[in-house]
Amino acid sequence: MATVPLEQRRAEIAELLEQMCTAAGAALRTATVALREERPRLAERVLAGDAAIDELRAEVERQAVTAMALNAPVAGDLRTLVAAIRCAGDIERMGDLATHIARSVQRGRPVPDEARAVFVQMGEMGAEMADHAAEVARTRNVVLALELDRTDDIVDGYLRDVFELTLDPAWGHGVEAAVDVTLLARYYERFADHAVAVAKQVVYMVTGQPVEQVAAELDGGAAEA
Amino acid sequence: MRDAYLEQLDGLAEILSVMCGQVADALEKATKALLESDLQLAEEVITGDTLVDETRSTAEERAFALLALQAPVATDLRIVVSAIHGAGDIERMGDLALHVAQAARRRHPQPVLPPEVAPYFAEMGRIGVDLARKAGEMVRTRDLAAATAMEAEDDAMDDLHRHLFTVLMDHSWPHGVGPAVDITLLGRFYERYADHAVAVARRIVFIVTGQMPGPLMV
Repeated sequence: MATVPLEQRRAEIAELLEQMCTAAGAALRTATVALREERPRLAERVLAGDAAIDELRAEVERQAVTAMALNAPVAGDLRTLVAAIRCAGDIERMGDLATHIARSVQRGRPVPDEARAVFVQMGEMGAEMADHAAEVARTRNVVLALELDRTDDIVDGYLRDVFELTLDPAWGHGVEAAVDVTLLARYYERFADHAVAVAKQVVYMVTGQPVEQVAAELDGGAAEA
Repeated sequence: MRDAYLEQLDGLAEILSVMCGQVADALEKATKALLESDLQLAEEVITGDTLVDETRSTAEERAFALLALQAPVATDLRIVVSAIHGAGDIERMGDLALHVAQAARRRHPQPVLPPEVAPYFAEMGRIGVDLARKAGEMVRTRDLAAATAMEAEDDAMDDLHRHLFTVLMDHSWPHGVGPAVDITLLGRFYERYADHAVAVARRIVFIVTGQMPGPLMV
């Protein structure tokens, strides 16, 4: 059996990563609709779909390890393969976090309206970030990846909004709802963190440099221009 | 050639083991800082986290060197890839210990924990630290004897975490929403710390036996 050329292997891996990101984004969208509309059976769909994301991750890892063993990759290619394995881990975790949100919906405790409104925004933002990460994985475009890296602050802002809601003396929903809302906020935030981690990996994979350095150089370049 | 390779592999395992020790120390200090409102100790953990990150970079450079220079195949390749995963898990454990220390610092000089939940965190801290040390030992020796005990400790961590929520959600909880929010997040940090330690152990089991014990929940 002829060895699959590295270029082809790499393209296949990129496609798998893209699929994974798209699936994780869809899972978050579904989980968020289930949360918004209090639909536990819709949440069930998120739980059922998670195995497919896990399977894609295993496939990325198999492909990358096979390429390492058979294609004798050199420095840059090796970096790409290791980064792909890591991205797959991050995206799998995004899927897991969507299932945590879905499980929370299934527990059936009501989420106060003002918190729910923030989660709807966090869900939309997270799903867009996953789609953005899908495009980054497919195109390996560093500029797109850096854009994603910058959206992290917006997510942190939403997280603060949620904490401020619960800590406001006017919060009238008690401790139980505050605990639920705190965990939900954390799941959304971590989802976004992992999407950003994918972008960081892609920057490193393409440039061989950490994202902070690349961002600083680009900003410096823009300032000079 | 083979000897040099094995030596490098041992070197890589040693670095990961050292990293486990670093994050065990970090959680031990962070927990003490949390329980005793010790600002200085909290600061130590917060500044110390960069050392963990540096150790991770060193581990990764070694792993890359192994992959590039020795072109390992089959099992050896799995070991190096597992090491890269493991380094990621251990770094995350360091981040979680850092989050605990940041919570202690944010509320200083006020205690974060009301007295009735402090024992939960003392015990979760003890288990977390022990899991990290056992993981470090397993990485170095590849002795699987501790694996079963680690799974049991992880279950104990999950039980504590669940009980903690029943305390918070009890209608007689007198401390209000603010402390409950802090405690919710802190509980989650400890639980995730344990998950990552167990993930490291499971990878070692996988390397030694060729079989993954249970799903990787991390």
